[in-house]
Amino acid sequence: MRMWFRKHPAEHDQNTVFALINRYKQSGDFVHFHHPQSPQAYWISYFGTLIDVEILHRDILPFLNKTAFTTLEEAKAALPFEDVLITSDLQQIQDQLLLGSVLIQLDEKDSICALVRAEMKKAREVTIPEEEYSVVGPKEAFVESITTNLNLVRKRLPISELKVKEFTIGALSKTKVAVLYMEGITNEENVNTVCQRLTDLQFHQILDSSFIAQLIADNGNSIFPQLIDTERPDRVAGVLAEGSVVILADGSSHALIGPISVMELFNAFEDYYVNWQTASALRVIRILAVSFSILVTPIYVAVLTYHYQLIPKDLMVTLVASRRNIPLPPILEAIILELTIELLREAGARLPSKVGQTIGIVGGIVIGTAAVDAGLTSNVLLIIIALAALASFTTPVYRMGNTIRLLRFPFLLLADLWGLLGIAIAFIFLMVHLLRLTSLGRPYLEPIYPPRLKDFKDIIIRLPFSSQSKRPINLQTKNQIRFSEKQAKEVHDIDE
Amino acid sequence: MKTAIKNEFLVSPFLVFFLMHGMQYGVGVLGFQRDIVKFVGHDAWISILIIGILVHIIIWMMYSMLNKDKGDLITIHQRTFGKWLGNLLSLLFIVYVLAESITVLRSYIEIVQVWMFPLLKTWPFALVFLLSVYYVVSGGFRIVTGVCFLSVLLPSYLILTFFVPIPFSNFRNLLPIFDHSIYEIAKSIKGAAISFSGFEYLLFYYSFIKRPASSQKWAHYGNLVTITLYLLVMIVTLGFFDQGYLKKVLWPTLMMWKIIELPFVERFELIGVTSWVVVMLPIVCLMLWSASRGIKEMFKLQQKKVLVFLLLICFLICCLLMERETIHQYNKWVATVGFYTLFGYIPFLFVCYHLRFKVRKKG
Repeated sequence: MRMWFRKHPAEHDQNTVFALINRYKQSGDFVHFHHPQSPQAYWISYFGTLIDVEILHRDILPFLNKTAFTTLEEAKAALPFEDVLITSDLQQIQDQLLLGSVLIQLDEKDSICALVRAEMKKAREVTIPEEEYSVVGPKEAFVESITTNLNLVRKRLPISELKVKEFTIGALSKTKVAVLYMEGITNEENVNTVCQRLTDLQFHQILDSSFIAQLIADNGNSIFPQLIDTERPDRVAGVLAEGSVVILADGSSHALIGPISVMELFNAFEDYYVNWQTASALRVIRILAVSFSILVTPIYVAVLTYHYQLIPKDLMVTLVASRRNIPLPPILEAIILELTIELLREAGARLPSKVGQTIGIVGGIVIGTAAVDAGLTSNVLLIIIALAALASFTTPVYRMGNTIRLLRFPFLLLADLWGLLGIAIAFIFLMVHLLRLTSLGRPYLEPIYPPRLKDFKDIIIRLPFSSQSKRPINLQTKNQIRFSEKQAKEVHDIDE
Repeated sequence: MKTAIKNEFLVSPFLVFFLMHGMQYGVGVLGFQRDIVKFVGHDAWISILIIGILVHIIIWMMYSMLNKDKGDLITIHQRTFGKWLGNLLSLLFIVYVLAESITVLRSYIEIVQVWMFPLLKTWPFALVFLLSVYYVVSGGFRIVTGVCFLSVLLPSYLILTFFVPIPFSNFRNLLPIFDHSIYEIAKSIKGAAISFSGFEYLLFYYSFIKRPASSQKWAHYGNLVTITLYLLVMIVTLGFFDQGYLKKVLWPTLMMWKIIELPFVERFELIGVTSWVVVMLPIVCLMLWSASRGIKEMFKLQQKKVLVFLLLICFLICCLLMERETIHQYNKWVATVGFYTLFGYIPFLFVCYHLRFKVRKKG
C-alpha cells in the first residue's frame, strides 16, 4: 500500500542497507571497510564510538579471518557469540547499529547481513551512596547503567517471582526503562497503572528517572514528590518484597518507588538496620524537625507582628532586647534571612565540595554575625532560621527537603497577612492538598486518612520485625502475609 | 432512577462518627452557654442532656427512613410527597442548609474580628476561606470526610484546655438541682438547639457510606461524644462564672481560655480562635457539599457549577452582614428556623414517610 503514496521516486533506492550505510558514512565515527585478504572477503561496518574495539579485535575479526565461510550462517557458527542476528529488516539493522552492533556483509550491496552485539559498556564503578548515606548497613549505590542496577537488585532477590518489564521511551533518547515487581505479591493494578502511564508517555528525551517521576505523577502541579527516588539497591529490594512497583531507567542512578504515602518520605532505609526503638525515635524526631522547620519562622513573624500578647513577660524581654535596634518589620527581616540561607545552600550545591565548605564558613559565621552586629537582623531570628534550615535537611528523601523549604514561603506571607490565622489557613490548604493527592491512584496521606491503624506499624514509628508479619494495606498486595506470625512469636513460660 | 455510587467514592461506616461529631462540634461551643443559662441558670446541664436524648431519637428516625429508602433526603421527599412537592421541600431544606453555612462562617469571622483582628475586613477572609472550601468540596465526598476526620483529631488537644479552669471553679454553683420549671427548660432547649445541629446532613451523605445500616451505632457514638463535651464545657462554665456575670458574657468558652498560662504562651484564646478555623472548615464544607449534591440530584446539573454558584451566594451574604446587630438578628432567624426544621419537620417527615408506606401497603 505504502509504495503507491510514495512522495519521492528516489526513496526506493534509500530503502537498502547500502543506502543506509552510505547515509551513516556522513558521520565521522562510522567505520565501513572491506576485508579482501582472508579466506572469504567480507564487509564490516560499525560506529567506532559505540562499540568496544577490544571485542572487535579479540572476538570477531580473528574468527572471521581464520575460517572460510561462504554464507552468513557459517560465519555465525564460527563466531563465539550466542546471539548473532541475521536479518534483512532495515529498521532492525538501523536500531542495532545505533545500539553498538557490528554489521557483517558478504557483499556491500547485499541486503542480508549479520549483526553482532559489541557495544561499549562504560559505567561507573558501584560506589557508596551519597544522598542516602547510612552509617550502618550496606554501602552500594546504583550507577548509570541499567544492567548493573538490575544486577544489584536481582542479587538481593534471587527468585523467579521478580519480574522485569522493559519499555523504550523517548523519541530521541530511546531510553530503556524497566518496571520491576514481584509476581504474586504486587497488586497487578499498580503494575498496570505504571505500565499504562509509561506507554502513554509522550516526551522526546528521558535523561534521568526524575523525568519519568515528573511525567507520570498523579498531580503534575504538586510540589510533593509522589514517587520516592532512591539510590540504594537494598531499599529497592526491600520495597519490592513489600509489594511496591519500582521503575529503573537507563542512564539514571536513581530508582523510582511507588505507590507511596507522605509519611514514608520520613523513613530512611537505615531505620531497618538499627533496633526498633532507635528507629522509631529517629522517625519522630524527623517529623518534629520538619514541622518545626515549616512553622517556626511564620510563627515568629505572626507573633511579633500581631500577637505579642501571646508571649509571657520574661520571654518578651529577651525578644524585645534582640529586636530593639532593628529597622525592618519582622516579615522583611525573616524573608531576607531565609533568602540568605537559600542562597548559601544553592551556592554550596553548585560548587565543588572543598569550596563549598569555605562558603559555609563565610556565609554562616561571617555574614550571620555581621548581620546581627550591624543591626539588620535580630539574633533570635538568626537562631530560628538556622535551626529551621538545619531541620529541613533531616528528611531522608532529598526531594522532600526541597519541598519543605519551598513550603515555608506561603506560610510566611500568610503569617504576615493574618498572623496565626494566616498560618492556620495555609495549614488548611496544605492539609487539603495532601488529602487530595494520590500516588499511582493510592491515597497519599494513608494511613492517617483513610485511617488504617495497622499500617502505623511501619509509619511514624517502626515496630520490631516480629510484628511486621503483614504487608502494608495501602499497597493492596495479593499476598498480605510476609511470614507466619505464630512461629515468630512463640510464647514461652518461665523456665520452660 | 438513581445510579448507584461507585465503590471508590464510599467511606467506611466508622467515619460516620467523625462526620456526626465534627458537624455538631462547631462554632456553638464557643458561646452556646448564654442561650441556655438565660432561661434555666444553673440547671443548664439538664437542658443539654434532654437535647442529647432528642438528637439520639432523631438520628434513629433518620436511619429508620434511610434504611428503608436506601436513598437520601431528595428521594425520601419525592416518595413521600410526590415529585413536585417533594422537590420543593428539598429545595427549602437546601436553602436552610445554605443559610446555616452562612451563619457558621459569619459568626466565626465575627469572633475573629472581636478577639483577634478588630480591623479585619470580612470579604478577604471569607473569600480565602470559601476558596479552601471549594478546594475541599471539588475533591468529592471522600475528601470532605477526610477533612472532617482530621479536623476532629487535630484540634482535639483543645479538650484538655476545658479542664484547666476546674481548680478555679466552685461547683456549688450547680446546686440546687431542678430549680426551674419545665416551661423554662423547654425555652432553653429552643434557644440552644441550633448549637447541636449538624446531624441532619446524614440525610444527604447516607448513600455514600459502605454498608450504611451498620453505621448507625457510630452516628450515636458521635452524638454521645458531642453531648459529653458540651456537658463538660457547660458544667465547667457554671462552676467558673458567676451566674449574673455569665448572662452578660457572649463567648464564655473563650473567656475561660484566657486564664490558661504556659511557660511560653499567654492569652491562650488567640490560639483557641486560630485552631477553631480548622474545626469550622469541615462544617462549611459538608454543608455546601450537601446543598450542591441535593441540587445536582434534583435538577441534574453539574455539581461543580452549582457549588460555585452557592459559594458566590454564601460570599455575598457574608459580606452583606456587616453590623453586629444584623448578624445577631440573622443568626436568631436561622436558629428559629433550624429548631423547627430539626426537631419539628424531621419527626413530621418520619411520620409521613412511614404512614405513606402503610397506606400504600393496604391499598
